[in-house]
Amino acid sequence: MLKVTRRKFLQYTGGSIATGLFAPLLSIEDIAAAAISRPLPPKTPILVLITLYGGNDGINTLIPYTDSTYYSSRPEVSYKAENMLPLDSELALNPAMKGLKGLWDQNKVAIIRGVGYPNPDYSHFSSMAKWQTGSPDRNINTGWLGRWIDSQPEDPLLAISLGSVLPPLLAGAKRSGSALPLGGLVVPTGSLANKCAQLSQPLKGESKLMAAAATSMRNLFNLSETVQPILKTPVLNAPDLPTINGGNAGGDNNLAQQLDVVGKLIAANAPTKVWSVSLGGFDTHADEANAQASLLGVVSDSVTRFMSQLKTTTRAEDVTIMIYSEFGRRVAANGSQGTDHGTSGPVFIVGNGVKGGYYGDQPSLKYLIKGDLAITTDFRDIYATVLEDILKSPIQPSLGQWAGRVNFLKPVSSALG
Amino acid sequence: MEKNRLEISRLYNRFGFGPKPGEFSADLKAGLKKTQNKILKISENDPGLNETKDLNLSDLGQRPKPNSAEIIDFATSLRNDRDQLTLWWLDRMVLGNYGLKEKMTWFWHGHWATSIKKVDFPLVMYKQNQTLRANSLGNFKVMSRAMVNDGALQIWLDGQTNSVKSPNENLGRELMELFTIGVNRYSEDDVKAAARALTGYQVVRSNGLVTLNQKRQDTNAISILGTTNTFTGETLSDFLVDRADCENFIAERIWYRFISSTEPMPANFVAKKAFSKREIYPAITAAAKSNLLANPKYELVKSPVEWFVASCRALELIPSKLETSGRLFNYLDKLGQVPFAPPNVGGWPAEAAWLSSASSLYRIDFANWLIKRSKLEALKSIPVGNRVTESQNWLGVYQWSERTKSTLNSVSSDPEQFALLALCSPEYVVSA
Repeated sequence: MLKVTRRKFLQYTGGSIATGLFAPLLSIEDIAAAAISRPLPPKTPILVLITLYGGNDGINTLIPYTDSTYYSSRPEVSYKAENMLPLDSELALNPAMKGLKGLWDQNKVAIIRGVGYPNPDYSHFSSMAKWQTGSPDRNINTGWLGRWIDSQPEDPLLAISLGSVLPPLLAGAKRSGSALPLGGLVVPTGSLANKCAQLSQPLKGESKLMAAAATSMRNLFNLSETVQPILKTPVLNAPDLPTINGGNAGGDNNLAQQLDVVGKLIAANAPTKVWSVSLGGFDTHADEANAQASLLGVVSDSVTRFMSQLKTTTRAEDVTIMIYSEFGRRVAANGSQGTDHGTSGPVFIVGNGVKGGYYGDQPSLKYLIKGDLAITTDFRDIYATVLEDILKSPIQPSLGQWAGRVNFLKPVSSALG
Repeated sequence: MEKNRLEISRLYNRFGFGPKPGEFSADLKAGLKKTQNKILKISENDPGLNETKDLNLSDLGQRPKPNSAEIIDFATSLRNDRDQLTLWWLDRMVLGNYGLKEKMTWFWHGHWATSIKKVDFPLVMYKQNQTLRANSLGNFKVMSRAMVNDGALQIWLDGQTNSVKSPNENLGRELMELFTIGVNRYSEDDVKAAARALTGYQVVRSNGLVTLNQKRQDTNAISILGTTNTFTGETLSDFLVDRADCENFIAERIWYRFISSTEPMPANFVAKKAFSKREIYPAITAAAKSNLLANPKYELVKSPVEWFVASCRALELIPSKLETSGRLFNYLDKLGQVPFAPPNVGGWPAEAAWLSSASSLYRIDFANWLIKRSKLEALKSIPVGNRVTESQNWLGVYQWSERTKSTLNSVSSDPEQFALLALCSPEYVVSA
């Protein structure tokens, strides 16, 4: 009973990321044609960004399992030490993250601790906007990768988000990333399809906006039958997610499927350098332990499977995954077996080219700032490194002047070797 | 073709929410002048609105503790109020006979873009809507002052955390950048100064009541945009609105939303001069009566809400009576535009942002859903042989393209498919 009502409460009250910006919609044919006609050059680094919406509890992700304060501040939300996956004598991964622990053991996981930004914002909406715009000091309309897209030669395949709505992070001032919808969109068939196709024929001398309206409809019917099956192959055990508990704070619920499609398109040499996928449901104000463990299990399993899929391709060395959320959660539990919005959290970087280990200081559970963890790494340090070392681009268009870096990649020679 | 057909079509779509059945052909006969006067008329007594219900939202009080027994009722009320509020506004847009004031309230909502996703309490958003409504065609200086004192805007831009001890620049910056004078017309020092002038505001979250706490207020003189003086939030607002940049900026916003989102505003745009006393009505009237509307190159795209409202007017549907409102909100959300929930303080995008294939697909599905709920009386009353031609008047479309004509012609005896294709046609989605 209580559970149901709590679910309701979270549905009613969860914040959410809103964006009115719709990206150019790609058809698989576009991507497949480009993969054949202009494949991504070998050894081009690729970034896969995984956004966890709702505020992932970093303390129950990377657990300070030998710190008694951990158990005393959140008795009902803490895990038993024997179930955790210790990384060293102080920190352990959440019990559900076995796959990621395996990758850590292979030195393929960098964990950047205490990541956030100055003057933390506790609203999902605002905090995610700060992370995605890369601008914690002021509201702007473009994303940190959108500004990178602006700085690159125009290419609708340069950066692709899975899902029909473009996340703000890929919105530039001049251009934006593209959206590749997954499921849920049923293209009309039969006579309606024929009529829609007729209604959207190109017309000579048509105005720009009228032509754009026609094109947007016409593209719906351009999916080639030879290419569609690529995406229709069944997804391996797509997990049923506990979307109930984490409420409405944005994000999709099919991370495994999204990564599966991304993996196939990377393997097909799609000329795409940035992929964005997401998972929602992390707003665990109540009944946290089970819900979060399921979600982290999905993240861990999906990433592990994605990495093993890549092994059979020529791109295994090129892909770097970054996993982040808009904030961590309060150290002390809130009395409903959950935690409220907090500040910093860990960012995970995964890949064969990653220099595994810890980066940034672990925030203390004892010396809190208004009940919250300190911020020991600014997310712009990570963005700057991603821009320079993965996207091989100057940081200035995205971040302006920014000195901090986190050197989580192996030196290039060894990454290639 | 009828004289001034393009202008009359644009008057309907831009300065209102599209024609109700029969209106457009009558106005074509009446002519441009009379249509201008009709569209620009403000009536306190709008019989179209007789069917709308007044909205009574109560103060839900402080949010109960997360695990308390009261939280469920509270959250349910919050959700119900939000749904009622959204439907109340959509109903007004659909049912009103004199749409200008509603359209202007909508315009100002996108200008002072505030989202319920942070404000949380529907009552507070409702109060902001009343403020925007009351000032929508009045004096911009009065409006700007009222908005500085608006609870929703203060919460949205963290005004209540802005104090002499720890200034928060959020409101000060946006007041200049997005609300009064426009970006790059001030320095970062001006932002800091504006923030100091705006310190001390406190807001009751549940009802939006705004007070000034003098202990939190920075009462020292500031230097802003070359002037050194002591300012309050209100006098700062006056100071910004009086600047020449404000005239330019508001004219730019009117240009962008009413004339063209793709072409740059010419320096001699008539609304600019008409705004010299900061009166909104003359500025909008000047834009509506200018010959710019006769120039085919100044196109706009109907935003999702505008498209939905215009469709409801043509289909004679009332938003609050659509089963179910959950489905309705879902469609609007998928199309990227739900009233009271702009994506950010910059408001909604325009033009091509609404023209993705994904939105095209959702629009087809949405139109299909709406048509199933309509008796299609207006369309069915047109003899089959005349449907292609006369549907242009039904929907207030300037002119079907040859492509659309032939498509519609092939389904003219099937009213449902005819309506679906007409509502999703490029000529209807783009307001010419």
